[in-house]
Amino acid sequence: MTKCIGCHCCEVACNEQNNNPPDMNWRRVGEIEGGVYPFTQRFYLSMGCNHCLEPSCLQGCPVDAYTKDALTGIVQHSADACIGCQYCTWNCQYGVPQYNPERGVVGKCDMCYGRLAEGREPACVNACPEQAIQIEVVEVAAWKTDFVQLGNAPGMPIADRTVSTTRITLPDNLPTEIQKADYARVRPEHSHMPLVIMTVLTQLSVGAFVSVWLMALLGRTELLGLGAAAAFGVANLALAASTLHLGRPIHAYRALKMWKRSWLSREVLLFTLFAGAASVYAGALWFGFPGTAALGGITGLLGIGGITASAYIYLVPARPSWNSKHTLAEFLLAGAILGPLFLAAFTPEDGLLLMAATAAAGAQLLNQGAKFLWLTRSDEFELKASSRLLSNDLEKLFILRFALLVLGGMVLPSLGYAIPGLLLALAGELLGRYLFFVSVVPKNMAASFFSGRAA
Amino acid sequence: MNIKRILGIDTLQEKYAYSTDPRFGYTSSEKIPDSWVPTTCGYCSVGCGMLIGVKDGKAITVRGDVDHPVNQGKLCPKGLSEHYMIEADTRARYPMLRENGKLGRVSWDTALSTMLEKFGAVQAKFGKDALGIIGTGQLVTEEFYTLGKLAQIGFGTKNYCGNTTLCMASAVAGYKRTFGGDGPPGAYEDLEKADVVLLIGANIADNHPILCQRLEKNTHKTLIVADPRVTKTAMMADVFLPVKPRSDIALLNGMMHILIRAGLIDHDYIARHTTGFADLKASLDKYTPEHVSTLTGLSQELIYKTALLYGRAKAAFIGWTMGVNHSTQGAETVNAINNLALITGNIGREGASPFSITGQCNAMGTRETGCTSGLPGYRKFESPEDRQQIANFWNVDVSRIPTSRGLAYPDIIEGAVGRKIRALWIIATNPVVSYPNFAVLKQAFENLEFLVVQDGFAPTPTTEYAHLVLPAAIWGEKEGTYTNSERRVSKVNKAVEPPGEAKSDFDIFLAIAEKLGCKDHLYPGWSGPRYAFDEWRRVSKGRPCDYSGMTYELIEEHGGLQWPFPEGAVPSVTRMYEDGKFQTADGRANLIPIEWEPFPDQPVKDFPFVFNTGRTVEHWHTRTKTGKVPILEGMSPRAWLEMNPRDAKKLELKPHDKVDIVSKRSRVSGVELRITEIVAPGQVFMPFHFAETNSNLITQSAFDPISREPNYKQCAVRVEKTGAGHMGAAQ
Repeated sequence: MTKCIGCHCCEVACNEQNNNPPDMNWRRVGEIEGGVYPFTQRFYLSMGCNHCLEPSCLQGCPVDAYTKDALTGIVQHSADACIGCQYCTWNCQYGVPQYNPERGVVGKCDMCYGRLAEGREPACVNACPEQAIQIEVVEVAAWKTDFVQLGNAPGMPIADRTVSTTRITLPDNLPTEIQKADYARVRPEHSHMPLVIMTVLTQLSVGAFVSVWLMALLGRTELLGLGAAAAFGVANLALAASTLHLGRPIHAYRALKMWKRSWLSREVLLFTLFAGAASVYAGALWFGFPGTAALGGITGLLGIGGITASAYIYLVPARPSWNSKHTLAEFLLAGAILGPLFLAAFTPEDGLLLMAATAAAGAQLLNQGAKFLWLTRSDEFELKASSRLLSNDLEKLFILRFALLVLGGMVLPSLGYAIPGLLLALAGELLGRYLFFVSVVPKNMAASFFSGRAA
Repeated sequence: MNIKRILGIDTLQEKYAYSTDPRFGYTSSEKIPDSWVPTTCGYCSVGCGMLIGVKDGKAITVRGDVDHPVNQGKLCPKGLSEHYMIEADTRARYPMLRENGKLGRVSWDTALSTMLEKFGAVQAKFGKDALGIIGTGQLVTEEFYTLGKLAQIGFGTKNYCGNTTLCMASAVAGYKRTFGGDGPPGAYEDLEKADVVLLIGANIADNHPILCQRLEKNTHKTLIVADPRVTKTAMMADVFLPVKPRSDIALLNGMMHILIRAGLIDHDYIARHTTGFADLKASLDKYTPEHVSTLTGLSQELIYKTALLYGRAKAAFIGWTMGVNHSTQGAETVNAINNLALITGNIGREGASPFSITGQCNAMGTRETGCTSGLPGYRKFESPEDRQQIANFWNVDVSRIPTSRGLAYPDIIEGAVGRKIRALWIIATNPVVSYPNFAVLKQAFENLEFLVVQDGFAPTPTTEYAHLVLPAAIWGEKEGTYTNSERRVSKVNKAVEPPGEAKSDFDIFLAIAEKLGCKDHLYPGWSGPRYAFDEWRRVSKGRPCDYSGMTYELIEEHGGLQWPFPEGAVPSVTRMYEDGKFQTADGRANLIPIEWEPFPDQPVKDFPFVFNTGRTVEHWHTRTKTGKVPILEGMSPRAWLEMNPRDAKKLELKPHDKVDIVSKRSRVSGVELRITEIVAPGQVFMPFHFAETNSNLITQSAFDPISREPNYKQCAVRVEKTGAGHMGAAQ
């Protein structure tokens, strides 16, 4: 940080080395500024991968595409193993792994492993005219305590969580207040439309199956089979949509691999089991087989488990506005609003389903309101920035989301309109989920005035 | 997108594969060339050695030349991505003639016939000098030498100047006034050897980053940076001098005032090698620390500290660039710098030099071989002896050599406004973006009967005004030499063929000479740049810029040779004036009293800000090149205006707001606001690279009376939120 002059040579050399498209930079130079003219201080942070001791990219990966090299500690990523789920891009608080749409897989800095093996320095080190970047061997034991002093810098997320192994030389007289050059430039993130559809529809389906099961327990059987079959159809639609999110849909099955470690694997596993159970349950109801109560219970539990796993995917510290109980509540409540409304659309007039939906919509209203207040009142930059996005750039959509929730989830159901209620409430939850994705402000290192991270 | 890619079976494995290049090691397989062609970077004048990787006739990558003495393997981000500009979709490919208002493709024969017919008609009717030629600092030296002859003898016009007047003219004029001739006295090695390095108006971290590497090698130096803006370079400084805009003369005079009184001057050197000390000393009396503190805004303590650091240094270096040159007192500021160096004996020694860091890759080449402000070999138009020598070399009667220089660039433009210049030939420059106060230039262009633009790129904002566009080869497509800031002549080589029917400027000049009927006389038997180089070696013999001992092969072998390099010379670091003998008649350097003056267009109530312009590391000049390099364009996609938070608060502006900048002349709209403590309250800064938001809509027509360089750096403006002003106008 004391030597870098912000010339961006490392970035250009990195792209040339790896033949990456110009808008994808595995190495990035951030800018921070503090002090008052003429005692202004500007610093540049040239960063690739920090090759963390506890890499969150690796821990979250559902297909085990990441390895931490035993000898060098380099965190490597296999493009062959990767299915392009992009979960690592959410987990890393430095924005290091980047999804390459041209390839359908993620890529990241590997410290020029191949050059190191030839006894050459990495391309960035080689290109730096100021010798600002150096490669050194990390003494792991000592670094586990040293990193607090040596691995942290203004303009960088705190190194605690994953134990970044980049040693940053700080200047002697740092101003007390330092700002990232891109501090005022917060843009909506990627909307991940297949995931918007997938999450909301799986939640609808699970909600519907739980409703079917409860209604069956209450002894109301009329047209439940049709409702369940339709909900099963929705579940399949949702799971099909989810594969469109992947860069390599054909390898979707690989996502089951790391169920012991990755919430994404668990989600895939639980929803697959849910779909299986749901097909049997719906079939049993359709043909009027006995013993459906237990089957319905299992289906419901697997579904709720799936939704829970879904929510836990988003509870990542690198994406602060997702990382709260509001996410789990939002996902479960979406199911609780849409499931009963969905079933009500197929079955004869039933006040109970509509009442349940209305209550859930009320809870969702409280949940969303509480989340927005939490964001607004937070001192954390990323949370505050999320609230600014919702109240500035996304203001109209945010208001519409509440209007749809109240109208579709509460007003219309209380008046007995199931189908219009379902349609509006579904639109409300889809819009809400869209806002969930686009309003998150990820943790990241400082960028330059113009070049933020490409969403 | 194919189905395999959509399913995820295809992940472009081949594109993203790696293998090992025998020379540069493990890298992307697609970046491994069939051959590496050594050359010199074509952007700025640092003169970095590099290699172009060529595969299947295309330039696919570049690398810094590890063995090159200038850059030792490093390149700036522009150099590292230089091969992309060759492939730009806006390369000029065919001659284009304007008919019925539209440019359409024509043959070279038609293009050149039309050009000569139009130029001939204008010259026949309005005199030879009604033709103006505006060149550049971008061609190879061989082309400059060839063009100089073509302009002066072939076309017989003396109104030939270059865009170098927009950057280095003040340094040239300043050197000539002090030392009796041009040429930066020092060498880059001085950056490594000096005890004190004083940079004035030079943001090398953005503009010459590879020089920072040389500076970084010097661990014992004290770096002093004087700049009104806290630049990246200011952040490197041990002592930062946040001077008020255009107060550098006051600072330099104040330093000399202190040093003379402290006895920290070299009386012996002054006595033996200079004239005018008494007058200089008298002129400095009033530059007391109190007075200088008021003029510069620096504390007296800081002025003392700076003076004493410089005065006590064993070897002190002063580097400057556009902060000094882009001024109505540019040449005089250079004289003040030279005064300081001379009275302390900081010249002609290791580490000790006043040193202009040049802008364009070969601005030096045009200064050496020129025919613009002087005759080839730093000869003077005014000297009968020099004229006779050139007439002899060229085998023409001495009466055909002008006895004074022709119009300088701004005067050619003013000449077109006044209809003294009727036809204009612009070569490798883009004045619509780079010339100050665009309204005047537009008037000039509209008055012209015929405008020829010869460039590697089309369309450019300037070709929009052209009657004829001639497509030229660029860097990587032609052979010759560049001279860098430290007088190092480096080889430039052809790696690939130019696109379409584009030709090297050298070939274009010879084709024109052929049509003019003067080829056999002026360029007998010439078939390539080597012929021009050989003649130029003879012409330069015995001159300060002596090339006579150089050959292309020797240049390549040593990664460039610094002049003077007479026959039999041994390659080494050279400095000018090591013997204290200058190019003046009596061999003594002139100490010239210089007075500080306030800059024109001072801020007033309606235009309260001082507007400063400059560069950013990602872009080159008017972005015809770097704007086509996606990675650079991505890092710096548009212009911005820097404003201090205190001013932004008063104007109720927020970061990233779009603002208009308004001067007495015009308005530039929709510039993104950057609120930052980099600039002082009362000042704003904007990069000048962007045609889309052109800073030269608002800069002024104020020129240095000596060098004719424009005053780009200071003018009075106000800043308004975009839209607000227009609403006001509508009411």
